Amino acid sequence: MAALTAEQQRTVAPVGGTPLISMRNIQKHFGSLHALRGASVDVHAGEVVALVGDNGAGKSTLVKVMAGVHAADSGDYLFEGKPVRVNTPTDATRLGIQTVYQDLALCHNLDAVQNLFLGRELTGSPWGGRRIRRAESEVRAREVLTRMRLGGMSLTRPVGAMSGGQRQNIAIARSILWTPKVVILDEPTAALSHSAAESVATLIRTLADQGLGIVVVSHDIHHFVVNSTDRIEVMRLGANVASFKSSEVTGEQVVNAMVGGNEGVNLAG
Amino acid sequence: MAHVSTTTLPPKRRSFNELLSTDLRALPIVIGLVALWIFFASQSDVFLTPRNLSNLLVQSTVVGIMALGLMFVLLVKEIDLSVAAINGVTSVLMAKLIVEFGFSPWISVPIAILLGAGIGSLSARWVTFVGVPSFVVTLGLGLALNGLQLILLPETARYSLNGTGLERIALTNISGSWAWIVLFIGLAAFAALIISEVAGRRKAGLETALVQAVVLPMAAATVFGIIVVMILTAHQGIPLVLLIFAVLLGIGGYILRETQFGLFLYAVGNNDEAARRSGVNVARIKMAAFAIAGGVAALAGIIAASRTLGVGVFSGGGVGGGTLLLESIAAAVIGGVSLFGGRGSIHAALLGALVIGTVSNGLNLMGVENEIRLIVTGLLLVLAVSIDKLIEKTTGQQSF
Ligand SMILES: Nc1ncnc2c1ncn2[C@@H]1O[C@H](COP(=O)(O)OP(=O)(O)O)[C@@H](O)[C@H]1O
Ligand SMILES: [Mg+2]
Repeated sequence: MAALTAEQQRTVAPVGGTPLISMRNIQKHFGSLHALRGASVDVHAGEVVALVGDNGAGKSTLVKVMAGVHAADSGDYLFEGKPVRVNTPTDATRLGIQTVYQDLALCHNLDAVQNLFLGRELTGSPWGGRRIRRAESEVRAREVLTRMRLGGMSLTRPVGAMSGGQRQNIAIARSILWTPKVVILDEPTAALSHSAAESVATLIRTLADQGLGIVVVSHDIHHFVVNSTDRIEVMRLGANVASFKSSEVTGEQVVNAMVGGNEGVNLAG
Repeated sequence: MAHVSTTTLPPKRRSFNELLSTDLRALPIVIGLVALWIFFASQSDVFLTPRNLSNLLVQSTVVGIMALGLMFVLLVKEIDLSVAAINGVTSVLMAKLIVEFGFSPWISVPIAILLGAGIGSLSARWVTFVGVPSFVVTLGLGLALNGLQLILLPETARYSLNGTGLERIALTNISGSWAWIVLFIGLAAFAALIISEVAGRRKAGLETALVQAVVLPMAAATVFGIIVVMILTAHQGIPLVLLIFAVLLGIGGYILRETQFGLFLYAVGNNDEAARRSGVNVARIKMAAFAIAGGVAALAGIIAASRTLGVGVFSGGGVGGGTLLLESIAAAVIGGVSLFGGRGSIHAALLGALVIGTVSNGLNLMGVENEIRLIVTGLLLVLAVSIDKLIEKTTGQQSF
């Protein structure tokens, strides 16, 4: 079975302690399409895990199962060591799992504060028509941004007038506004210039240093993945085919594992 | 939403481009309005008399109120082409209840407004659940309501409202010291709003410049209010109709600028998927927007009925909505409400209606034919939207 293969091919053991999230042997079908064939991933507090693999390898599906967007057909989902059911995005949010999707889901006509709090505004009583407590929101927003070392960001400028990197940062800031334990990022650097991608990478590291577990789907192997993450899980055809410590691997090796230049993978599963 | 913006902790001055994209968005339209007034003042000695200005304001109210309601729908990136028909059919129903069934205006007026809101929320349901584009739903609904309006009318095709008490809405003027008391109450409410905002900022430990946040807006509002009331009291006082419009502008502005619902309107209009993922009930927000547009259109219909002392085929702009529908949409858009959703402030309804009212009033004084008025209004609409697009391009914000 693919799951066995994946386990056997681990080249490094994950870092110690109970993982925040431990997903084991996850199976997921879309009709007849077998998208996840026993995929596994662990996320510890304070580490950045990269999920890499070719298009269609199942990275997005795996993080969507993690985020409750898709329910797995079978497999184990442990949160802080305990089995949990994560069938809706709300289930995930309640556990402290936040997701930053590739499209960022920002409203370009609203400013940073309004985007950060969208749907979760600090408001007054219904008698005042739920007046937004703008001042408090600004203070909270500024706190979070400062913690992310983005203290200089304008709070009043419409997000549409900002750069791609700033928007990515706002989307990340929104995900950590409610102090989650795990943040999932799907392709955070894909649409960014080199320098903007660097700043997002720095931000991700800052968050991990503050104790968050971070899962990043990325194609940017040679820069972001090998330089800015702790562990790399390589996926192919819905299963894990290799696992590396980022500091001990080159981009070449990761790419080889992605395209299957090494040992044969049992795909019969 | 333009909040008082002296707040960014490293206090940065905002660039002109940035200002143009937010607070100063209304500048071109204000300049245009002033230019129109200067032009018409130079063409007609009557234009700037208190009597004419008072008339101009009153003439602008029905379209202004319609535009105000429609704004809510435009903000969520929908359109309601049935607002004029709602205006007509609800006012005819109200007249029927009063004239044929002996209802008191105190009962039939709320019925008409609730019915308008109900019709609006019905089209919203259709749009959100069946997925038919709103312009199709409301176009069809509008025609159907036109038919219903004709059915509701008696053989004579007209209900007179003379002597029913309803005509008093249009005839009442608040004059003398009452006019100044009304102004004072309005200014006090405005002051309470901005002072509570500043107090909130202070409490949260944010620096706020008193002059910019309180003194300047208060001074501007006071000077503006005094001028308007002086002009109005020099004629007959504050027309009740105008006061209703002003109150609606105040409430609408509060909703759009200050409340969570207002913010949701902008969010849904710009990116409904993002709003949905943030937990906003998009269908409900749209329903509320359409209900507001419908209810407000009904109120405008009641005011129109009061001004014309009756209802008939002509109510609601006649079959197809006529110029009432077109001018309501035009007023909102000229005032700066985007047809692409998510952008526009409450003053759009006032400024847009004033532009249309001014053109109509001014050309009328010059003795120019009605045809020309339509042409000028149409061209102004295109011009206003073009200027808006141009601003968007220069400030690099095509995205909203
Ligand atoms: N919602 C879906 N419905 C049907 N098939 C899907 C869906 N999402 C993903 N897939 C399929 O599952 C496989 C894995 O996709 P995905 O997880 O998006 O891969 P990756 O993110 O690694 O590129 C692909 O073959 C893709 O076409
Ligand atoms: Mg993907």
